[in-house]
Amino acid sequence: MKPFLKAAALAATVAVVGLGLFQPALAQKKIIVGVSWSNFQEERWKTDEAAIKAALAAGGAEYVSADAQSSSEKQLNDVTNLIAKGANVLIILAQDKDAIAPAIAAAKAAKIPVIAYDRLIENPYAFYLTFNNVEVGRIMGREVLKVRPSGNYIFVRGDPKDTNAQFVYDGQREILDPSIKAGKIKIVGEQATDNWAPDVAQRNTEQMLTRVGNKVDAVMSSNDGMATGAAAALDAVGLLGKVAMSGQDGDFAALNRVALGQQTVSVWKDSRALGKAAGEIAIELAKGVAPTAIQAGGEKASIFDGGPNKVKMNSILLKPVGITQANLNLVLDAGWIKKDVLCKGVDATKVPVCK
Amino acid sequence: MILLMTTLWKSCSALGLLAMLGSLALAQAIPHFVEETASSGLNSRYDGDYVVGGGVAAFDCSGNGLPDLLLSGGDNKAKFYRNLSSIGGPIRFQEETSGLELTQVSGAYPIDIDGDGITDLILLRAGETVLMRGLGNCKFVRANETWGFQGSKNWSTAFSATWEHGQNWPTLAVGTYYKRGSSFPWGSCTDNLLYRPAAGGQGFAAPIPLKPSYCALSMLFSDWNRSGTPSLRISNDRQYYWGGEEQLWQVSPGQPPHLYTEAQGWKRLQIWGMGIASYDLMGSGYPTYFLSSMGDNKLQTLQSGPSEPTYSDIAFKHGVTAHRPYTGGDVHISTAWHAQFEDLNNDGLIDLFITKGNVGSMRDAASKDPNDLLLGQPNGSFLEVGDKAGLASFLRGRGAAVVDLNGDGLLDVVVINRMDKAQVWRNVGAGSAEYPQAMGHWLGVRLQQAGANRDAIGSWIEVQLDKRVLRRELTIGGGHASGSLGFVHFGLGSAESTKLRVQWPDGVWSGWQDLKTDQYVVISRESGIQPFKIEAAKQP
Repeated sequence: MKPFLKAAALAATVAVVGLGLFQPALAQKKIIVGVSWSNFQEERWKTDEAAIKAALAAGGAEYVSADAQSSSEKQLNDVTNLIAKGANVLIILAQDKDAIAPAIAAAKAAKIPVIAYDRLIENPYAFYLTFNNVEVGRIMGREVLKVRPSGNYIFVRGDPKDTNAQFVYDGQREILDPSIKAGKIKIVGEQATDNWAPDVAQRNTEQMLTRVGNKVDAVMSSNDGMATGAAAALDAVGLLGKVAMSGQDGDFAALNRVALGQQTVSVWKDSRALGKAAGEIAIELAKGVAPTAIQAGGEKASIFDGGPNKVKMNSILLKPVGITQANLNLVLDAGWIKKDVLCKGVDATKVPVCK
Repeated sequence: MILLMTTLWKSCSALGLLAMLGSLALAQAIPHFVEETASSGLNSRYDGDYVVGGGVAAFDCSGNGLPDLLLSGGDNKAKFYRNLSSIGGPIRFQEETSGLELTQVSGAYPIDIDGDGITDLILLRAGETVLMRGLGNCKFVRANETWGFQGSKNWSTAFSATWEHGQNWPTLAVGTYYKRGSSFPWGSCTDNLLYRPAAGGQGFAAPIPLKPSYCALSMLFSDWNRSGTPSLRISNDRQYYWGGEEQLWQVSPGQPPHLYTEAQGWKRLQIWGMGIASYDLMGSGYPTYFLSSMGDNKLQTLQSGPSEPTYSDIAFKHGVTAHRPYTGGDVHISTAWHAQFEDLNNDGLIDLFITKGNVGSMRDAASKDPNDLLLGQPNGSFLEVGDKAGLASFLRGRGAAVVDLNGDGLLDVVVINRMDKAQVWRNVGAGSAEYPQAMGHWLGVRLQQAGANRDAIGSWIEVQLDKRVLRRELTIGGGHASGSLGFVHFGLGSAESTKLRVQWPDGVWSGWQDLKTDQYVVISRESGIQPFKIEAAKQP
């Protein structure tokens, strides 16, 4: 009687999981990774998907996916469907970090591991995989400090409703603070930017420049879009190319500015690395590896608690790369940007990569 | 010439109706809209540093039955337009000095505040909120001092009004946004204010702050559980509050306002709340609320009846998430503002019009974001057809009015656009600009009662259509910074006659009364149903 009961319980598990366990022919259950995209029509995710698929193929796992098309309500439905299709681990790029909660609860109830991909889902059950945004800020700080070890700095910060804005800022300050304390660097302006909007960044930069009579040596912009706004403000007063400037995202316009010597650094987050790590972590979790023991992308799992609610989560935070005039070949070689776009207007005698 | 056109149109419409009646295709027919911005004489822009607002008020101050308009202009002066359209013909406006031409206006709602039978207005502004008293024939004068109204100096962005039991003057709710000019607006949401009638019943007492306030962009007094006492629903912008949510205030006569809590069944919801539209979509007798936002829009219906304010999100199920552009190829999320339930094809199934447009240059949101028309389907779902209907403008849509501007029973559309010109479209039904064609029968109803609350706000109108009852609650508020006061419209499909009854604001029901469709009627509580003949204004 007892063995039979156990079998029935197993069968129930199989019904949820979908495949495998009940068939003695298979030594291991088939790993099916369900990926819930927030909006797959956005071009960038196609690179991530290719990397995830390659990692899964290498590990013998199957890929199923759904596209929420930017609807957080549809995404809840998508996750239910992925579970019904037999997914035994989920990678979720959340459209809305709060509205996704019922989906995480459903996955937890079905004992299906969840990877919060690129965007935070502040739930201890989820494993958070993203780039290290504090490191993004540190790289900006280091590169700008190299070229402007002293002088007047202004900060064009991100949207405070986005926790990443604070991480980036914290990283910048970590590097710059010793010089600030030593009196070498003076902060002469600091402004948060609604929605990280380039036009708002431009207006704020103009105001900060005016306030200090254009006596500015470095612009710590927290991303490339805002750097585009700041660049316009600098250009208007003849300072473009004369002050150091940071950014992140590897925006084409920003990389071109780096090549032109108008921007010091654009911190680039190679989504191929992120996708590969996600695929590898998914397989490990599906095999029952403890989240605390996960390794991927050269990083070990660590505890992340920097979300708005300070929830402790297992995480892997990948290291981004700072793109400067010295290593522009990285983005070219990766096929991220075409040479004519990168080198538009650039004097090839001064920038070897543009030859 | 105009007479000839009108006659021509009438014969065409009769033919059109004959052809269509009994046709099953009627339910899904897409109405056609012709943009008449330039030819109408409408020439107004909403400019300046106004990320939200951009409202329009539609009201009849000339007495001919056609809605006149006040358009907010932001840094530009607000503009008043007298409606000179011919019946069933092209839309025509004439700009006129009305006294309403203030700057920094970001929204406006019509309301008869002092109960004199002449429509007054509230002007929501980036600066002092101003009440304007109607003097008749489209002239208005500031009334803050006369009525003891202490207008908020903060940026007012939302409005709703109700008449509390026992009061002759309305209770006004004014929603405000954040501190303008602040370099760090996050977390600086300013207080929403509740203005109750002064002791003695004339004018207003000092306002009561509705704490906590979370950057309100739309408010609506609506009787969500048919208790006879409307509550105040507030839709808030999560971009600027910390820890806020959507709100429902219980506002009981003689009691301080009280926020419904999670313990009472209210479920926490955080959205970029921009506008509220309300309709008895389920045919249950209770309103279902559409809340516009960025990305997903919300459709909320009572989960388990009127005992507690617990709402289920059913937007996905009904196909009204309308979360990204349905045409134009932009794959980013949509930003929705004004929302209004109306029957634009007169098939007896309610439709939904939503304005869309980027806040400014937000990169995460669509920059090509078309206005949306969602046609109600027999199975309760909705279809996005704004492009096919000719309404898919890609300008930065904000406030709007869906009203019959030319008295033909087909609802027309006015939209205010940020940093751009306002637009107007004429609904030509199943026809064209030259030959408009009716799509179904309809009815326009305006309620009147003696004494206070002359427009009987808080009433429910029920109209019988086949085996269904169409219900509308008369409210002032909601939408995005935009409101209309005048005839309430019912699309009635193939019904040549119908039955109608009214629940008046005090809860008393009238009996069912028979009436013919395709007409405007005024229902006076004292003297019954009177047909109202819309008089086309004299052409200049």
